[in-house]
Amino acid sequence: MKRYEVIVIGAGPAGLSAACAAAEAGLETVVFDENARPGGQLFKQIHKFFGSREHQARVRGVRIGENLLKRADELGVKTVLGATVLGVYEQKEVAVRTEGEVRSYRGDAIVIATGASENMLTFDGWTLPGVIGAGAAQTLMNMHGVRPGARVLMVGSGNVGLVVSFQLLQAGCEVPIVVDAAPRIGGYGVHASKLARAGVEFRTSHTVVKAIGAGRVEGAVIAEVDGSFAPIPGTEETIDVDTICIAVGLSPMSQLADNAGCEMEYDSAKGGYVPTLNDEGLSSVPGIYCAGDMAGIEEASSAMIQGSIAGAAIARDLGYLTPDEFGERAERWRRSLDGIRSGMFAPGMKGRTDITNTDEGYPLSASLLARGFLDGADDGIFPSMIYSGGMRPIIECTQNIPCDPCQDACPRGCIVVGEDITDLPRLDIGKKCTGCALCVGACSGQAIFLIDDSLGDGYGTVGLPYEFLPLPSPGDPGKALGRDGEVVCDASVVEVRDSKAMDKTPMLVMKVPVSALGRARFFRPAENKNYA
Amino acid sequence: MSVMIRRKNDSPFAPQPDDGMTVCRCEEVTKGEIRRAVYDGARTFGEVKRRLRTGMGLCQGQTCQRLVLAIISRELGKSVGDLGKVTGRMPVRPVLMEELSRSGVEGMESEGAEHHE
Ligand SMILES: Cc1cc2nc3c(=O)[nH]c(=O)nc-3n(C[C@H](O)[C@H](O)[C@H](O)COP(=O)(O)OP(=O)(O)OC[C@H]3O[C@@H](n4cnc5c(N)ncnc54)[C@H](O)[C@@H]3O)c2cc1C
Repeated sequence: MKRYEVIVIGAGPAGLSAACAAAEAGLETVVFDENARPGGQLFKQIHKFFGSREHQARVRGVRIGENLLKRADELGVKTVLGATVLGVYEQKEVAVRTEGEVRSYRGDAIVIATGASENMLTFDGWTLPGVIGAGAAQTLMNMHGVRPGARVLMVGSGNVGLVVSFQLLQAGCEVPIVVDAAPRIGGYGVHASKLARAGVEFRTSHTVVKAIGAGRVEGAVIAEVDGSFAPIPGTEETIDVDTICIAVGLSPMSQLADNAGCEMEYDSAKGGYVPTLNDEGLSSVPGIYCAGDMAGIEEASSAMIQGSIAGAAIARDLGYLTPDEFGERAERWRRSLDGIRSGMFAPGMKGRTDITNTDEGYPLSASLLARGFLDGADDGIFPSMIYSGGMRPIIECTQNIPCDPCQDACPRGCIVVGEDITDLPRLDIGKKCTGCALCVGACSGQAIFLIDDSLGDGYGTVGLPYEFLPLPSPGDPGKALGRDGEVVCDASVVEVRDSKAMDKTPMLVMKVPVSALGRARFFRPAENKNYA
Repeated sequence: MSVMIRRKNDSPFAPQPDDGMTVCRCEEVTKGEIRRAVYDGARTFGEVKRRLRTGMGLCQGQTCQRLVLAIISRELGKSVGDLGKVTGRMPVRPVLMEELSRSGVEGMESEGAEHHE
């Protein structure tokens, strides 16, 4: 039986990071993944990630995946694809199916990093073709270039539902409505706002009760739900869609850990059954480590750190790192993990509805939580949204999330996040904004706008992040839309500023009357040039 | 370790309007069948599975496990965490008998034994 020093199961961000940390210390490491491509979920994530520089914030998930693969390659990690691990036995033996054959391998240590599976919802007609998981929609669009449908109902307003809805819009699909059974939008306000200003309607305290259609989805019935999430009779509404996309959470795929004899626990905050682990990712079985979504649903950023800690811990166990060398690395990683796990949406905050103020003491926007957009009442409250004339960034970032690329982006130091990565960004109005647009491209939440009231003749400009193709050209007419997606006024494109540093988030500058500067936040071309 | 008490149900099985809804697609098991199994005494995911084959099809419970657990929990008025562990068994993915027979993986034979709490 072939023996490896480290066997990693799953080539997602967690598994690859574990493999890199182990290989870097000199261990002979193999990674098995059942997919044809490595990278796990990362290659579907075409959006920019949150966090700070150490978490590769403002880098798109795909790029993070590419970097990770390159690093694994350089470190001599052996990655075997199309290799399904069927079981883990005593003595750290794993059974792997490749090319119609099942083979056993033995590892001195094992890292289980198998990720998660999507949760489903049952409702009348849920087995009809056209009801798909959000992950499946992403795979179709972002891996295979196939549009999942023409009009999509999104069920679930967590970050996955919000991110995938935006990607559906980018792919040229319509998303008329996002429903969520909870009374609040579950994901980041900035993700919801991108949708709302593009015309997507949010219905909180609503769910899907029926998929209509003979042979495939031809419509959906949604209804309001009561406090115990039961549909309220009489509130049903039929909507015209051909696809129903389900984004109601993920469950850890932890079966292999159980199979290996690891002690398991049920933890609803982590998404289901997970192995009991110490803070290095070690399970109750010596030599078997676990990392990433299979140990509790989180994010790629935390999955990578957990994987790194596990890989380095194995290197220490097997004598490739001294305890001091390990301790030094682990301390840095843990600090980074604490950072990414902080804020209003941290793993421990799931389901909390009692938070009414930001850390700074500003009242959270009720409109943002219920309808996905900030309204007039929020304007005077958040200092970063107060316009004081001339060329200025307006930052519509009103929730404490761990993210700070805007601060690094501004070469003039106009934007300050400060010590705590979850603090709201502040504007230093003593510093002069040159309108360089770097902050607009750097904000993963697409929440920064450049306002200028000095165009003359009662006109000004609004610069906004615009990630849609085809890109409008200077002079193109259209409508300026408000945060709620409603038409504010006529607008015309002044310029579209793009650069390598903005990494495919160009800034579209539109001309609007000065009176509309506070409200115009999106541009809809007059002639909807069709997506090829 | 807790002792599981089973008593014959005094009240008759109460049908629900959506009992006909498919829950496990791979094995075509309905919500009503699962509710009936619980009514008849099944208390865990494993017990329902042994009666109805829920979770034994192509997806190996990836889709329905959570749904079945939610039904059992609602029927019994217990939280999912109190329904006992769902055992993860080899093979975690479907595999052809032919492929297995070609391999001689050790441990396959000894896997039959069940763990009872
Ligand atoms: C829409 C969406 C948006 C997201 N946005 C962000 C974001 O902005 N920032 C962020 O940090 N995170 C984001 N995430 C989360 C992130 O993608 C996941 O948390 C992360 O991928 C988890 O990493 P992982 O390595 O644990 O699992 P995965 O990436 O799921 O990788 C697991 C791997 O294990 C393999 N595998 C599983 N079982 C077996 C087996 N039996 N044998 C062999 N191989 C197996 C799989 O094929 C897979 O490649 C997003 C997720 C989604 C769905």
